[in-house]
Amino acid sequence: MTSSAFQMTLTVNGERSDHAVRPRLLLSELLRDTLRLTGTHVGCGTGACGSCTVLLDGEPVRSCLTLAVQADGSEVETIESVGTPEALHPVQAAFNKSHALQCGFCTPGFIMSAVALFRRSAKPSGEQIDSMLQGHLCRCTGYRNIKEALRSAAETAEA
Amino acid sequence: MAAGRLVGAPVPRMEDARLLLGQAQFVADLEAPRMLHMEVVRSPMAHAAINNVDVSEALAFPGVRLALTGEDVLSYGKLPSIDLAGPGNAALQRMLAVGRVRFAGEPVTIVVADDPWIAKEAAALVSLDLTEMPFSLDAEEASGSSAPVVLYPELGGNIIHTARQSVGDVDAAFAEAHHVVDATYRVHRYLAAPMETRGVLADPTGAGRRITLTSSTQFPHLLRGFLAGVLGLSEGDIRVIAPDVGGGFGVKCEFYPEEVLAVVAARKLGRPVKWIESREEHFVATTHAREQVHHLRAAVDAEGVVTAVTLRSVTDNGAAAATLSVTPASISSAMLRGPYRVPNYRAESHSVVTNKTPLAVYRGAGHPQAVLCMELTMDRIAREMGIDRVELRRRNMLTPADMPSDRGTAIVLAGAVIYDSGDYPGCLDRALELAGWTSRAEREADARSRGKLHGVGISCFVEETAIGPYETGHVRVDGSGKVTVLTGASPHGQGTATAIAQLVADELEIDIASIIVHHGDTDVVPDGVGTFASRGGAIAGAAARLAARKVKEKALVVAAEMLQAKPGDLVWAEGEARTATGASMPLAAIAGRSTAWNAMPSGISSFNLDEKAHHQVPGIAFANATHVCSIEIDPETGELEIVGYAVVHDCGTVINPMIIEGQVLGGLAQGLGGTLFEELRYDEKGRLATKSFADYLMPTAADMPQDVALGSMESPSPLNPFGMKGAGEGGTTGSVAAVAGAVADALAPLGVTVASDGPFTPPAIRRLIRAAETAKVA
Repeated sequence: MTSSAFQMTLTVNGERSDHAVRPRLLLSELLRDTLRLTGTHVGCGTGACGSCTVLLDGEPVRSCLTLAVQADGSEVETIESVGTPEALHPVQAAFNKSHALQCGFCTPGFIMSAVALFRRSAKPSGEQIDSMLQGHLCRCTGYRNIKEALRSAAETAEA
Repeated sequence: MAAGRLVGAPVPRMEDARLLLGQAQFVADLEAPRMLHMEVVRSPMAHAAINNVDVSEALAFPGVRLALTGEDVLSYGKLPSIDLAGPGNAALQRMLAVGRVRFAGEPVTIVVADDPWIAKEAAALVSLDLTEMPFSLDAEEASGSSAPVVLYPELGGNIIHTARQSVGDVDAAFAEAHHVVDATYRVHRYLAAPMETRGVLADPTGAGRRITLTSSTQFPHLLRGFLAGVLGLSEGDIRVIAPDVGGGFGVKCEFYPEEVLAVVAARKLGRPVKWIESREEHFVATTHAREQVHHLRAAVDAEGVVTAVTLRSVTDNGAAAATLSVTPASISSAMLRGPYRVPNYRAESHSVVTNKTPLAVYRGAGHPQAVLCMELTMDRIAREMGIDRVELRRRNMLTPADMPSDRGTAIVLAGAVIYDSGDYPGCLDRALELAGWTSRAEREADARSRGKLHGVGISCFVEETAIGPYETGHVRVDGSGKVTVLTGASPHGQGTATAIAQLVADELEIDIASIIVHHGDTDVVPDGVGTFASRGGAIAGAAARLAARKVKEKALVVAAEMLQAKPGDLVWAEGEARTATGASMPLAAIAGRSTAWNAMPSGISSFNLDEKAHHQVPGIAFANATHVCSIEIDPETGELEIVGYAVVHDCGTVINPMIIEGQVLGGLAQGLGGTLFEELRYDEKGRLATKSFADYLMPTAADMPQDVALGSMESPSPLNPFGMKGAGEGGTTGSVAAVAGAVADALAPLGVTVASDGPFTPPAIRRLIRAAETAKVA
């Protein structure tokens, strides 16, 4: 019953690896189950909630809707590559300061989208932030503090 | 470093770093050696007789290790309901259906296989031979004596429980009434939907072959007891771990079939078994909330004083009694009168089974329903009698002089409703001020000039929080002066660890960074109750601080010997014991002196700075708040926009205002979601039709009000050693009535009467307007 395996190579958080994958394997499954990078969370499996967002060649994608083979030859960045306990990324630090997370399940998705946004535009506008937020569901915070965190990160960022 | 420096301060959360860095461990993130995967086969029908379940084809599928049907697990007990006694227990759920299925989504079979994809494919091979039966989706109809569908014949009907409240002489009050209001209010069905679904990992291979169940739960200790009961094991045979839990909101303080099934399968196979709920499953397999119908009558005197209320309510409990099955009906009936005197009151609240997913508690439990009924009624009385609705509320409100106020009602499990403290009129005044109440006419005129209808809703409520029975705290200081706190609470996003650390840091006057808080593992914290009913911070916080106090008292005795002083001559300041002459001994040195590697210090009976405390809860602490919601409605499109929102809340002594604001805002979002968009709908075959976030619309960032004005008051609870009450649910509890009241106010000029909690979607608002127009023409 085994489907034919597909040979692929990708770079995740700077580390290259080769994989023989089922064609139907999702990128979220490759990251979580094969590479054991479990910081990427699957909240709905249908691309609606944004919890599973990772960066594929710098662009935010829903890893639950992306096939692993679509990442063949690509660079993937996950939450595990952002910040360290000693030096949080400015967006992460702003989330802590503004109390922009509670249970934290959806948070890595928000952070990855925000990291991409801040790369594209060092000081994103309120509209850019609002439009980014539309892609993510959070059930704990009511969003106000998330918005506040991103706006304060934008204000303090160097242009 | 003065005492009290952290309690009351917006201390950033110590929980955050791991979550922000992707280092958290939710149950889906866990693996165990030789782990297998479970898939649940669920009923495709709302109500059917089970003729046969054939798992032979599934079992023959390569990689499948086990398949179990209801018959295979008949010897185990049913899932308990802890708030339900008596004949209603006929409606307890089996972990797998036997004889009949009673809701689409009910577990019928499990398949366990080497990987989740094999389990899924094999599950599709399970053959269910079912004969469809008539089903019931209408709890009011089901509650009648001639209900066309009876789910549990041995029950003789569909009512599993009737909660009754009786205060004063209702009949006399109605006989003397100047005005009577008669209303029916409908509360729709929706659900909590935490971002993390449920999931379990049952591991029978741990030390001593004990079972370790890791579950996304709010109450690991209670879960351990339930599991022991159903399986016939000792609690000592079981370890339950709540790892990082991605939100609960009440649906994870339930004991679910999958929590037993995974354990049964794991024990049979001698291998770990994991199950992670899909989002689609979550919609049918995790408890729903809210759905109630209330028939309410109020007697009013000539001055607008409400002299009596009667209530008959029906709660649609779905197909079985959940772990907390009658709590919604009990709370909504016991708390209906909220902050208003209403000296005479009678309620009869039925909990009824129908062919839907079981219903249980969701943030606010029965409170949002109660507040909706009472506040819409207050507005109705005001309108019908021509009294200003704020003035009417003031005339009926309890005041601080009335405290404590025995309301004569009781809440199942929690006990007597005796309001402990609070300034309800003061809270109303402050909320109206924050909301700009006196300038609302200008905003109304401005809205009208733009073709919009402006409406303001006022929602005043009192809420049960910080319930018992008790919580545990355990504080240990090691020789380095670092402090480990064990708490019986099991937080899942509330920030309770930070709050507890603040309390302990203040008690010992030490740096919060030297404190670590552990929770959620029954082997690490052997005794505890859990996190629900807005109890974590207040109750577990009190227990932890009491334990820290005991540590400090012991430390003073040990320090006295070290400093050759009398214990009574020492004071504790800035994390050290001090004498009047300037000598001092820091906590770390005292902790070191107290270890077993030294002679037992004189004056103490045990080694180590290691103390436990139980905080036994003497009664419910009641929090209160006022919400004021301002909206604009476009009468042409039915579109509703929240243009202003103010909340003034009172949860007693505040530990961390930043966390409390977060709770209020998050609760508000859930209340607004339920009132504006969210609705669980059933199709013509009695199956849930809303099973994804595409069908079930939850609020996004853009749906939240631009600005929420927050204010707080502090009426310390005399029932808590530190004055604390709970704050977890009020944001939700108050918002439902605030929005509904605003819609009622905005649409009143069109002749619309609002008698529900929505959801007030644009089509729903258009329907209300059209119905009023039709009624006018007729």
